[in-house]
Amino acid sequence: MLTYFIRSVAFRHLRYSIGQSLLTIGVVGISVLLIIYLWTVISGTQERITQNTTGAIPHITVEPPERTPVGAWQLTALGQNTDTLYVGEVVNLPKAREGIEDWQLWLPYLDGVDSSLTTVSPTVSGQAFMNRGSRQQSVRVLGVLPERHNGVVEIEKNLLEGRFLTMVSGDLVLGRKLASDFGLKMRDKVRLVGPEGLTLNFTVAGIYNTGFGQIDDGQVFVTLRDGQSLLELGGSISSFGLKFADLYKAESISQKIAPTLPFKVRSWVIDNPNLFRTLDAQSQTRNLILIMTTIASGFGIASILVMVVTSKYREIGILKAMGATPGEIKQIFVLEGLLLAIVGCFVGVPLGVLLLKGLAAIRTVGPDGRVDAPFLIIIEPSVLIGASIVAIVVGAIASYFPARRAGQVDPIQVIRGA
Amino acid sequence: MMATEPVVELDMVGKTYYTGDIATPVLFDISFSIVPGEFVAIVGGSGSGKTTLLNLMGLLDRPTAGCVRVESQEVSQLDEPGRARVRRERLGFIFQFHYLLPEFTVLENALMPCRMRGRAFEKQQEPRMRELIAAVGMSDKLKVRPPQLSGGQQQRVAVVRSLANDPAVVFADEPTGNLDSVSGRMVFDLMKRLSRESGTAFVMVTHDENFALEADRVIRIRDGRIQAPEETLPPVSSGSSLP
Repeated sequence: MLTYFIRSVAFRHLRYSIGQSLLTIGVVGISVLLIIYLWTVISGTQERITQNTTGAIPHITVEPPERTPVGAWQLTALGQNTDTLYVGEVVNLPKAREGIEDWQLWLPYLDGVDSSLTTVSPTVSGQAFMNRGSRQQSVRVLGVLPERHNGVVEIEKNLLEGRFLTMVSGDLVLGRKLASDFGLKMRDKVRLVGPEGLTLNFTVAGIYNTGFGQIDDGQVFVTLRDGQSLLELGGSISSFGLKFADLYKAESISQKIAPTLPFKVRSWVIDNPNLFRTLDAQSQTRNLILIMTTIASGFGIASILVMVVTSKYREIGILKAMGATPGEIKQIFVLEGLLLAIVGCFVGVPLGVLLLKGLAAIRTVGPDGRVDAPFLIIIEPSVLIGASIVAIVVGAIASYFPARRAGQVDPIQVIRGA
Repeated sequence: MMATEPVVELDMVGKTYYTGDIATPVLFDISFSIVPGEFVAIVGGSGSGKTTLLNLMGLLDRPTAGCVRVESQEVSQLDEPGRARVRRERLGFIFQFHYLLPEFTVLENALMPCRMRGRAFEKQQEPRMRELIAAVGMSDKLKVRPPQLSGGQQQRVAVVRSLANDPAVVFADEPTGNLDSVSGRMVFDLMKRLSRESGTAFVMVTHDENFALEADRVIRIRDGRIQAPEETLPPVSSGSSLP
């Protein structure tokens, strides 16, 4: 129990040795600031990389399994099934992969797979040629239900002009770069040639700039129905794209739903193994820096308290001679360490928040002309509290050893040794 | 004369220090007692064991033989927190080097032993300590910190501090040894006066034969033994010294 005696001696020591106290508070404050800063900036960078990677793609893709080609020697055994895919046969996408015909039946089931699900987007996708005048370029055509697909990648918010959510048959929405390559403006006509040679005319209904290269440069959006027609998929779709509020849950949900579906289920994690390795290496570096910072802070507190204990050797001896128990002396110095750590947190946390807010306010213009924040700063209260708890626990541990030494001071030696 | 119960009793106390297998005996078969209000001087040459004796009586050290009783309670075998409690509640100390706490004022230093026993006790004892500080001529220094005081002034505060918890006995280890002769005399007279006025026993280790001769009793130590016979100057007048 912290008695009046313990509290008053500890407080008075700190006040009397204000220089040493401020030094320790500075060490703790800077450590807390570093922990908060490093954690938030590195986590923000990781989040930014992850968002950049996953922002334009579904977190889970549900698609039909690829068809397994069979050898030509099996032709007889398999009979007259003309739909069979043979080894070496050059095929277009619809033949290499079956479509999902009964997708409307599966949609309600997928809509309910998890509470963190934000959207399920039935999509048709395939390559097509875009023609305008003499210019021709291969593009990826995405036939979507706009209001659902806008949850996968936010086209509507990033529209420079036109519309996306209210897109109707015959409309085409494309990125700024592709539009400028083709010299396209709103309401211009453009022609798409499907893989089977079917040609459809579209009108430019929207131009966007999402900042995601693969979407802005070589991809166009049409309605689901138009996509099915162009790619000659009938009523089928190519895949479902699922997006979740928490993208890190995608892999576990993917493993959970895979056995319940007759389709191939893949999460973004499986598709991006290098990203995961990079993030993991970054996390380990961050943790190492944080551990080093914490240890340095602990040594800082401990070394200053060792100095304090050494300089107070006589007073500790006299207090013990007058009847202070070793436990009380120990508590005085642990309390001093704790108080320094707590005040250090009160200094470090606001400074850390201030620094992060300053970083968050920075805006730069990217090569694509978008004005954006270079740092993704999300100030989490849990990080502030966590850093403070770490500093206080380290302060307590660091002060324990000098405090124990103080508790062991032999008053006889002090009294005779002066 | 009515028998007075001793405040401290030593019964065949011995002390041997051990360094590895080497035993160094310092005190042998010491037996005597101190009665309330008595002013006792312990004298002896360097290395005679007088400070060791004071440490044993003051429960700063444990005897390796015999027993020490404070107000009839056997205390020599208590653990460190137990001995600390007895020191805090029943004993007072004055050291050669006054050892006031520099962070605290004169009044706070004087009240430190009370502070160890809680805020209520400190508050209760404060008027008495103010009076004692005034009695040693330092009422104008109540809020002054020790570094601003002379050695003699600091030792006077230390004497007042030794009486803060209203102890049964005060142990003083060469309290005048670090002072000039005028300050030393002032501190010695002060201890005698306070002993007489408060009825607190004082046990003082000293090199100074003049001070020793003014004590109620002198215990001479030589080579770890009490030199017989005990020399008793004015007999203990316990009746008059007790309040």
